[in-house]
Amino acid sequence: MALELILFSFFALIAILCALGVVFHRNPVHCALLLVGVLLSLSGLFILLNAQFIAALQVIVYAGAIMVLFLFVLMLLNFRGESSVLSPGAAKGFGFLFSLLVMVELLWTALSPNGGEGGGMPPVAALPADFGSPAAIGRILYTTWLYPFEITSILLLVAVIGAVVLAKRKFA
Amino acid sequence: MDLALIIEATIKVLIVLGFTLMGVPLIVWMERKVLGHMQDRIGPERVGPFGLLQTIADGIKLFMKEDILPSQVDKAVYFLAPAISVITALVAMTVIPWGDTMSLFGRTIALRITDVNVAVLFLLGTTSMGVYGIVLGGWAANSKYPLLGGLRSSAQMISYELAQGISIVPIIMMTGSLSLAEIGRAQEKMWFIVPQFFGFLIYLICAVAETNRAPFDLAEAESELVAGFHTEYSSMKFALYFVSEYANMMVVSGVAITCFLGAWFGPVLPGPVWFLLKLAFFLFFYVWLRGTFPRLRYDQLMSFGWKVLLPASLLNMAITAVVMVMRG
Amino acid sequence: MHPLAVPLVAYQILAAILFTIGVVGVLVRRSALIIFMSIELMLNAVNLSLVAFSRLHGSMDGHIFVFFVMAVAAAEVAIGLAILVAIFRKKETANVDDVHLLKG
Repeated sequence: MALELILFSFFALIAILCALGVVFHRNPVHCALLLVGVLLSLSGLFILLNAQFIAALQVIVYAGAIMVLFLFVLMLLNFRGESSVLSPGAAKGFGFLFSLLVMVELLWTALSPNGGEGGGMPPVAALPADFGSPAAIGRILYTTWLYPFEITSILLLVAVIGAVVLAKRKFA
Repeated sequence: MDLALIIEATIKVLIVLGFTLMGVPLIVWMERKVLGHMQDRIGPERVGPFGLLQTIADGIKLFMKEDILPSQVDKAVYFLAPAISVITALVAMTVIPWGDTMSLFGRTIALRITDVNVAVLFLLGTTSMGVYGIVLGGWAANSKYPLLGGLRSSAQMISYELAQGISIVPIIMMTGSLSLAEIGRAQEKMWFIVPQFFGFLIYLICAVAETNRAPFDLAEAESELVAGFHTEYSSMKFALYFVSEYANMMVVSGVAITCFLGAWFGPVLPGPVWFLLKLAFFLFFYVWLRGTFPRLRYDQLMSFGWKVLLPASLLNMAITAVVMVMRG
Repeated sequence: MHPLAVPLVAYQILAAILFTIGVVGVLVRRSALIIFMSIELMLNAVNLSLVAFSRLHGSMDGHIFVFFVMAVAAAEVAIGLAILVAIFRKKETANVDDVHLLKG
């Protein structure tokens, strides 16, 4: 029990610090690396929540492929650091105000008696033995969720084609 | 969380860490000697008997070298990159089993540091994180040759990761488990290389490409692109990259042995000894490849990975699935 | 009962904080790449919330949702970066305030 609490606080703290770094840091490559830090700490939190397959997928897909793509684009296009990091004046104030509203709304829902526990539904009595394992995910992915799975594969194909076409140099 | 468990885990970690760090000089020595003899020369022979202390001497030289910190590098990333390489390589060693179980002082000790039930995914994850060591090393140097070398090297690693993962999938299908200990135990009757020979070949090629070894080492070879991503690194940080390369070789060989070559099973000798023998054979095979084949050009390398290996591994997976369903 | 050692509210609050930090990033930063990264941050906050609730109810549907979110995020990043590269080639800047060709 105590160990889980310590691990949760550790990962949560790292996630929040790295997230703040992503948003407020000047150098874009450092921001990308801090985002990788967020992803890895979230992966740790997923393991605390018995989601082993999702945790592994987070590292392999998100931190290991998507962020590498980000870094490639950053490095090849050599974005210079901007002179001023944040938007000027009024836009900045409005941005902070709006996000404050969003946070208040989310916390209100989280801390309300019904919203905090999934709309009043009681927690489950016992977890199935293979909860979060690849076998369980495979079982429902190919039966209940087959249709979205196939559509997602077509979506990824469209993304590949689109990325190649968009980034191609057009020879005059 | 009893004390005995903690002591056991600590001892196992120390053993594996010691084995890896002591093994790297031995592998380097073997490489230089074997390459030497393959190229009709002797290789190191003056420092110690048969040149065995040559790597130690080189290590001492590396430690004593001046640690140059170029002025234009991005300091945080410059220090982080070799650390990432070494950490991912060593962390991947924790799930590789070198034997089944052994009883000592009345406890059954499993001969592996740990066994996650998604061990194969864990290994794929650490390999993916290892790419960062290379790409950040190339970028941190803030100069064009290391950057190009780093980007090429990491693009190569990402491309071959796919075929590598997919070539392991038939093994997972046949065992029904992602845990490396389970996969090892399932090969008691027959090593998986027999039904999965093409899968083994694909995995082998991908493994050589993943570790950036010849014939796929265009991005970091000494005669190309200055020295690739580790141009601006000197002394200890270069030594770390060096260690991470050989540790990666050991990890990848360990996975190949566990998944295809019967893990720790063999006729007479105990399990760990067979594992060591197979590992030694794999490392010799790596050096053999280096001494035999010319380097692949980068575009040949990438087109081979995407147009040949990936479809081949997918075909392998499909055929395995069909055969498994037909057998019932 | 198979309760969570750490109460669900803690996960929800963490997800809310991460999501808000992402919103701040999108609204306040001017570089298109950082805005992109903040969007990824928001998606991850939602993933955390989904996995926490999935654990609460013992249903794997939350995990499947997270799986699809990751796949769609990958596709979105690929296309978004391609667009960014195309714009950057033309205008030499990644500043979203400078891309106003359609402005009346």
